[in-house]
Amino acid sequence: MSEREVRIWDRPVRLFHWSLVVLVAVGIATGYYTSEWWMGLHAAAGYGLVLLLVFRVVWGFFGSEYARLASFAHGPRAIVGHLRGLVLLRPPHYLGHNPAGAVMIFALIAVVFAIVVSGLLVLGGEEHQGPLAALVGFNLGAAAKAVHGTLTALLLAMIGIHVVGVAVESLLGRENLVYAMITGRKRLPPGAPRPGPRGARPWAAAFALGAFALVAGGALAGISRLPVPDPGTLAVDETYAAECGDCHEPFHPSLLPVASWAGIMAHLDNHFGEDASLESGTARKIAAYLEANASEFWDSEAASRFRVVSADAPWRITATPYWVAKHGGIAAPRFAAPPVSSKANCAACHRDAASGRFDDQNIVLPAVKSAGES
Amino acid sequence: MRPSIRMLPLAVLAACFILAAAAPGRAEPARDAILADLATQAKAADAGFSGFSAERGKALFSTRHAGGKPETPACTTCHTNNPRNRGKTRVGKVIEPMAISANPSRFTDAKKVKKWFRRNCRSVLGRVCTPREKGDYITFMMSR
Repeated sequence: MSEREVRIWDRPVRLFHWSLVVLVAVGIATGYYTSEWWMGLHAAAGYGLVLLLVFRVVWGFFGSEYARLASFAHGPRAIVGHLRGLVLLRPPHYLGHNPAGAVMIFALIAVVFAIVVSGLLVLGGEEHQGPLAALVGFNLGAAAKAVHGTLTALLLAMIGIHVVGVAVESLLGRENLVYAMITGRKRLPPGAPRPGPRGARPWAAAFALGAFALVAGGALAGISRLPVPDPGTLAVDETYAAECGDCHEPFHPSLLPVASWAGIMAHLDNHFGEDASLESGTARKIAAYLEANASEFWDSEAASRFRVVSADAPWRITATPYWVAKHGGIAAPRFAAPPVSSKANCAACHRDAASGRFDDQNIVLPAVKSAGES
Repeated sequence: MRPSIRMLPLAVLAACFILAAAAPGRAEPARDAILADLATQAKAADAGFSGFSAERGKALFSTRHAGGKPETPACTTCHTNNPRNRGKTRVGKVIEPMAISANPSRFTDAKKVKKWFRRNCRSVLGRVCTPREKGDYITFMMSR
């Protein structure tokens, strides 16, 4: 370290910054560009962000001088002054975060926090996974998804401004701020007094993090005991599995509403173009099972979505608007080719189809077999 | 080490049991009863009935029928041309072979036989099958 350089960013702050970059990048990549079955990684990035944010806030109280939130909580006058300096192309020099940058940092932390919270709501409500699985209903989860997306678009814009701001400050201040966030060192301007910054208090930080972990862990353990709405808990009716399972997989009752099951069971003599008639006692028993466990009685994603049936084909799961929207990108020959063979063969790609859960992580597209194989 | 000669009778006995169990049971009482019942019905419907025919069963199995549902014009639509092969339902679920040689438990459960003839005759032929047609069909499958 040269005589005129000082350590500004401590190691935890730098690690936080670049870990945040990586996790946000993973979250954006898996949120916008990859298929559904990457959701596990997307959620993992989210959990990682929670840990990062918690750490950063704690370190904001117990870190070294320039890591402390209070050290860059500039007042409005400083912010206006700094912005005016920027417009005049000679912004005042700050060793730590400059006021405009600091505003962005507080905003970034707040927005990432809101994105993570809304993401947990989506995960809990739509997928019934994660810590909020038992607490959040499907509709709230679906609403949170819109918020999650909007906030992410906002975050992308903010990241753009943040990067441009760093570039502008670096040029005007003749100091590579990106490099400073890597080495932690910044140049001391001529004539400026050497700062005597407060040091970090790692033990206090560890104690705060430990206390937080205890409280959060206790809360998680508590809510993990609550019952999660899970269609997979339904005991499969043996008559249904035997009679209907002879020709097709016994679809989970949560995949169609009561009216659709009633219609199907009343017209078994013409069942999608085939005679599937049953003795009336058997048919009644199966109909009772299907109607008692129909989509109206479940909060799972599939049940909530397939409750909306097609007006033209209200008995056909693969005609529901959601099914069509979700599978629109798959070409018809892909369904016809073995080992899938049919759109009705949910389990060919959804490993948990029998449970009615249809978790994103359980989608595995099978390899296409050539026509000769079987 | 030389295997003890005293164990030989035991081994022979065990081999006999295994052979007896694995021997193709030509006589299958449940299936014979189903056929006998169909024969009685066929006789009642037609006094000139003189037994089931594998040939007629084969024709019934292979013909493309009119009158059924367009999705299933023939038995072979789902069961394939060879009854010893596994077939497939219209949604791709495997159907075990119909030929007795490939699937010895076929036509031994009267309830199932009744259910599937009722359903599939209506799907393929658009009508119920006669007792003679059913008997011919089973006889054909026994010959395969």
